[in-house]
Amino acid sequence: PHLKLKKPSWVKQPSSMTMFAMVLLSYFLVTGGIIYDVIVEPPSIGSTTDEKGNSKPVAFMPYRVNGQYIMEGLASSFLFSLGGLGFIILDRTNVPVMPKLNRVLFFCVGFAAIIISFFMCRVFMRMKLPGYLQA
Amino acid sequence: MAASFLSYLPASQMSHEKKSTLLTLMILTIAAILSFLIRLFSVLRFESVIHEFDPYFNYRTTRFLVDNGYYDFHNWFDDRAWYPLGRIIGGTIYPGLMITSTILYNLLHSLNITIDIRNVCVFLAPLFSSLTSIVTYHLTKELWSTGAGLVAASLIAIVPGYISRSVAGSYDNEGIAIFCMLLTYTLWIKAVKRGSVAWATACAVAYFYMVSSWGGYVFLINLIPMHVFALIVTGRFNVKVYVSYCTVYCLGTVMSMQIPFVGFQPIQSSEHMAAFGVFGLCQIVGFYQYAASKLSKEELNLLSRFVISATVVVSLVVAMALQLSGKIAPWTGRFYSLLDPSYAKNNIPIIASVSEHQPTAWSSFYFDLQLLVFMFPVGLYHCFANLTTENIFIILYGVTSIYFAGVMVRLMLVLAPVMCILASIGLNKTMTSFMKNLESTNKETPQPKKRADNSYSVKNEVAMAVVAMITLFLTTYVFHCTWVTSEAYSSPSIVLAARGGSDGSRMIFDDFREAYYWMRQNTEEDAKIMSWWDYGYQITAMANRTILVDNNTWNNTHISRVGQAMSSTEDKAYEIMQELDVDYVLVIFGGMVGYSSDDINKFLWMVRIGGSTDRGTHIHEKDYYTPSGEFRVDREGSPTLLNCLMYKLCYYKFGNVYTDANKPMGYDRVRNVEIGNKDFELDVLEEAYTTQHWLVRIYKVKPMSNRGI
Repeated sequence: PHLKLKKPSWVKQPSSMTMFAMVLLSYFLVTGGIIYDVIVEPPSIGSTTDEKGNSKPVAFMPYRVNGQYIMEGLASSFLFSLGGLGFIILDRTNVPVMPKLNRVLFFCVGFAAIIISFFMCRVFMRMKLPGYLQA
Repeated sequence: MAASFLSYLPASQMSHEKKSTLLTLMILTIAAILSFLIRLFSVLRFESVIHEFDPYFNYRTTRFLVDNGYYDFHNWFDDRAWYPLGRIIGGTIYPGLMITSTILYNLLHSLNITIDIRNVCVFLAPLFSSLTSIVTYHLTKELWSTGAGLVAASLIAIVPGYISRSVAGSYDNEGIAIFCMLLTYTLWIKAVKRGSVAWATACAVAYFYMVSSWGGYVFLINLIPMHVFALIVTGRFNVKVYVSYCTVYCLGTVMSMQIPFVGFQPIQSSEHMAAFGVFGLCQIVGFYQYAASKLSKEELNLLSRFVISATVVVSLVVAMALQLSGKIAPWTGRFYSLLDPSYAKNNIPIIASVSEHQPTAWSSFYFDLQLLVFMFPVGLYHCFANLTTENIFIILYGVTSIYFAGVMVRLMLVLAPVMCILASIGLNKTMTSFMKNLESTNKETPQPKKRADNSYSVKNEVAMAVVAMITLFLTTYVFHCTWVTSEAYSSPSIVLAARGGSDGSRMIFDDFREAYYWMRQNTEEDAKIMSWWDYGYQITAMANRTILVDNNTWNNTHISRVGQAMSSTEDKAYEIMQELDVDYVLVIFGGMVGYSSDDINKFLWMVRIGGSTDRGTHIHEKDYYTPSGEFRVDREGSPTLLNCLMYKLCYYKFGNVYTDANKPMGYDRVRNVEIGNKDFELDVLEEAYTTQHWLVRIYKVKPMSNRGI
């Protein structure tokens, strides 16, 4: 049969960098424990009551490696993605010709992203597991 | 001065190529030895013993294979498990692990190195992890470069996500499955790059080995077609891919059907249909490309329209017919819950209750991978920036395994290798691009001509800073991995250790083996033991007695019957126990020493599973909670809970002991309350044995009274 099928003109193959952006977004969501959040439905922030009866918020679910509150999951996965982006930015500084200001900015942002995310994650882990790297 | 010292070593006399080969060999050897050694913590701290639950079943079957040979193993029907149903072991296991151990054992014995089969089993997983290191090197070398390969081999030697399932003593399928999986992938990439039938056949043989070793082979048979499909979509499909995929699919499928457990699934179940679909698509695209090279444009258009529409119509009709007539089975529960994570929670409580099947939180990712979670996007970025046929494969592998690891903690194991590979690509690219900027201190080589870019004056310092930072990160990675392995993943589970007593010295709790050996020596040969399914494999392997339910969990109704017995009162449970011919009941109780994985903590799962079949509809979970909805074992606890069989068996005579000097009698150290129902006697059971720390309690079922009163 003579079918006159034409692909619509606005459908075209996405570029590889678009695909990478989508993959990075899904990486952010998955490592933030979004599936854990949907199934187990933890609260966004935990709470304890102290001696006087006031309720204080608790950011990290303590003593359990496989449990989280929603906020802590998203904060940590933001740090993971930030660290990755820091290295990518640092890689961009090796382009041969670039204005000096841009290069300095790239260095500062890249280094800051990497160092902050790495050490913050260590701090987060220590807050979550009090005996981390000490026993 | 350093240069003159180095000139004395023979290394400096060698050519560049020889130096690099020496360096490669040294690094690979060190990585392999390291991966073996880091897994030995529990052997050094305790002894060479099989860990956990599932490995005991594998150990028992390996012993059987060694003693009786392959034909008896293949036809083995086990009547000592799942009484009264029995289990066809020959047809329901993946034999790769047992056969590998037996071959190794026979090889060593033929050389008169008489290592006991238990030691072969304990040390098999570390041995294969060394081999995995080497295979990862080859895979990354094919994908990127030698440097990245060496980094990947070193990273995967100590990554905690892989160590968790392959420590010495963890004799489980995953120990060799990861090696087989990476070997299959390496050979697949080699085949796709070269387009040779020989490499593709080798890939099919490796795939057969993978199918024989783990049920996770379904991941491979979906990833490889997905790769081919991605190549078709991005326009990189060529003759080499066509040859490789057709060979791998045909040979691989035929070989995989030789495993009895797999049987006819590759052509009948939905999990394998994607591979078949891509196979068909391959033929069409290949034919189209062939026709395009031979025909003129209008003829080609006509032919292609006709063929495509005919194929689409025919395949739709056939697929619908097969689906409706039930010949093609839909996705089974375990794999379906990967696509729809809430399915297990709502429909199949047994799958939902296993702690390894829970979804993953962020801290599991960081705990198991540390530095790699940061470098994973970097590696992906570099792969996307230089898209080649092979890179598309590793991108797909990475993205799919991130999603699956997010759904189920256990699948972190599948994520760990690809994290190592992509992280190594990222690290390698970053390091090489910055190392080039370091000024050479060796004055012999002529200075390269200065780059006409005087805005980049601090090149050297920045490069040194980056290299130093990455070195620091890798060092912290090593410390992290060693700490995690030592603290979290090296516990044998069958022997517990704690610091306690008056002088803080280490106390060992060997109650499990004590109880199993008591049972082995003091009960009748054909005694039947009822316990929760977790302990089934250990009881058959160590106590050598018949059990009702074990970790295979293939029969939900039978497990549910046991759950009903545990949740009912003594007389109702007695009816069930008579029906199932039970002689002894075994429970695990942690309230004396504070062991939190005991049966009272698992009790709610027994209630849920017991109430999920039609003979247990009188069991409702809410009856076991207090009116305010809490699960309590003290005086406030629900009376249904305080009178059920599990409660009575755990707390029998517990009300007369002091666990702590400051607390009342009968204080449960796990739930941190004083128990509610202390003073009771058992009517139909009598206590047979309680271990030293009250961890395992065994009760004998009294026979029915003579006069029927």
